[in-house]
Amino acid sequence: MSNPPVAENAIIDMAGVTRQFNGVTAVRDMSLTVPAGRILGLIGPSGSGKTTAIRMLTGTLRPSEGRIRVLGEEPLHFSRAVREQIAYMPQLFSLYPDLTARENVGFVAALYGISWFGRRRRVKRALEIVELWDARNRRAGRLSGGMQRRLELACAIVHEPSVLFVDEPTSGIDPMLRLSIWNELRQMRDEGRTLLVTTQVVAEAEYCDQVALIADGTLIALGSPESLRESVFGGDMLELETDHAVDPEIVAGVGEVLSVTQPAARKLMLVVTDAGTATPLLMDAFSRHSVNVVRLEEHQPTFDEVFASLVQRHRAQNGTDAGAKARDAA
Amino acid sequence: MLHDAWRSLVRVTSFMGKELREVIRRPGVLLSLVIGPFLIMLLFGLGYTGARSPFDTEIVVPEGSDLPTDPGFYEDLAPGRIHVVSIGSDRPAAEQRLRDQKTDLLVIVPENATQELQAGRQTELLVAWNQVDPVYDQLANLAVSTMVSELNAEIIRQAAAEGISIAGGQLGTTNISPDVVAKPTKAVTSNVSPTKATVTNFFAPAVLALVLQHLAVTLTALSMVRERLGGQIDLFRVAPVNSMEVLVGKYIAYAILSLLVTLSVGALMVFGLGVPILSGYLAALGIVLLLTFASLGVGLLISLIADSERQAVQLSMLVLLASVFFSGFVLPVSDFIGPVQYFSYLLPVTHGIQTLQEAMLRGGVSTWWMLAALAGIGIALYLLSLLRLRSVLKSADS
Repeated sequence: MSNPPVAENAIIDMAGVTRQFNGVTAVRDMSLTVPAGRILGLIGPSGSGKTTAIRMLTGTLRPSEGRIRVLGEEPLHFSRAVREQIAYMPQLFSLYPDLTARENVGFVAALYGISWFGRRRRVKRALEIVELWDARNRRAGRLSGGMQRRLELACAIVHEPSVLFVDEPTSGIDPMLRLSIWNELRQMRDEGRTLLVTTQVVAEAEYCDQVALIADGTLIALGSPESLRESVFGGDMLELETDHAVDPEIVAGVGEVLSVTQPAARKLMLVVTDAGTATPLLMDAFSRHSVNVVRLEEHQPTFDEVFASLVQRHRAQNGTDAGAKARDAA
Repeated sequence: MLHDAWRSLVRVTSFMGKELREVIRRPGVLLSLVIGPFLIMLLFGLGYTGARSPFDTEIVVPEGSDLPTDPGFYEDLAPGRIHVVSIGSDRPAAEQRLRDQKTDLLVIVPENATQELQAGRQTELLVAWNQVDPVYDQLANLAVSTMVSELNAEIIRQAAAEGISIAGGQLGTTNISPDVVAKPTKAVTSNVSPTKATVTNFFAPAVLALVLQHLAVTLTALSMVRERLGGQIDLFRVAPVNSMEVLVGKYIAYAILSLLVTLSVGALMVFGLGVPILSGYLAALGIVLLLTFASLGVGLLISLIADSERQAVQLSMLVLLASVFFSGFVLPVSDFIGPVQYFSYLLPVTHGIQTLQEAMLRGGVSTWWMLAALAGIGIALYLLSLLRLRSVLKSADS
């Protein structure tokens, strides 16, 4: 199988990547690129293949097929120079519970060759970024779940990497902490770093520059959060409410309208080619039928809706969710 | 180049520091590591005498026998080995008591030994015991053979006395004593070993070697398994760290811990139990270092092939069990058949026990090949662990 050429300026580049476990496909023909200084959110439900993908990108798993390049090198054969620019935050807590927060971060810093002299400052900065400096002398095993995740993040950033692979940083974390972690990730992006972040919280797509939706091991959509919304519904969505029950046929003749649904007797949901052009035309149509419009506003579908719609579409096209078990095992 | 070497050193020391901290942070582990062997050594030194209690023996002297019925006579035949609990003439009852394990040994003396000897016939001294323990079986054999030889001497002495008396009456006087006729030679013994052959002296170096190997194996066996199962190995896979840096860091950390424990046990041995170190401290330390190096290799290899902590512990216990049986700790290596002896020599502790005993109790090592073997085992295990770890670090598929 021939792979497409490496995308220019791509920090992370996957092309036609497949991974199988004992004959069951966990990731199927995945292709994506991430340019420098961007956050790509790899989003999908549990067992969809996110961790398998991230482990292949970090070189801890070998792809069955396809080509992967990170910073121009194949992950299984990363040079030391490239490794020094990469950070990986695994999904499960994998630090040393008997070491303090500071010692854990110091140990990871030393793994990256940061000597005793430079380590002190870097460790302090990393712990301050994740707001754990005050807990620096507490043993990692005695920190709360949220603090442990932040400690792992501190370990991941202590050597100031240019590329971060972060596997489910907000898993099991309360909403306030989630926001705080995403703020930290976005700050890193703003400093010019490239991040690939996996999450099963679909709403977190909002925080990403690019979103890769993954289900059943297959990449079902890739793009900016806005473009994904549009791609799902094929245009802008308008939500319209009238003063009495209305027949949807009233808007059937309006050229801008692509589709109409009626969730309630006085309520219509319309997909139009362009909200600005369609609004006056719709008002005219209702006026002609002596119907008063009491509310008309553009509807922003949630990412849960977008994701559900895309997954349904994908499954309708492919007809199976086989492989989920294998991805769970992976 | 220098920069790379410096960074390598930083990584090695990071593993070293991490391992040491992890052990120190677990007071229970530290306690069992240091105090445990210390107490075992102390208990062994103070509690083990090596003396075995004499066999409870019943003597059956048939009525009309010309042999004495005094218990002291029979106890003197094998001093310290038998204790005569009764002397009687009821043979079936005595045999039943032996079967019921109420006595350890039964001796049935002949009815008329002196007359039979004078008539030129051999008489039978029947001895029976009821032991399932092979060591006691051998000891009973030894006690019996000592006793029989002494009894033979006594019979000869009696016959000689009678013969000399008759000869003296017919030929005049004779200056040959019946004792000399019965025992024409006597052994004058001495042990020329430079140290006193006590149980404590002999077993202390062996216990030290066994404790050292077991500690090193147990400590390291769990180390890598935890990191493999706990996910830390993924950090190592991604980080710019190589298998040699990981291994060297762990070797140094565990060598320091093992040596600390050895020093504490060694100090007790020398200053508390008075075990000599004729070779001097440096030579003994050299052997300890070689044994530590080889033992750490065993533990690290276990930790790299075990699938779980439980399996690592089981494999460590198997190594301990094999060491107790095949290292010469309990049974001499030379007692085993050839192929099994090769297996014995695969265990670092076999070489450790032998060379430490020689160095400490004789002042020098005559079996230099054993030191070379220790170094060889250590290097081979290091290289095997290195290859395995390299493969593990390469990817999770390994």
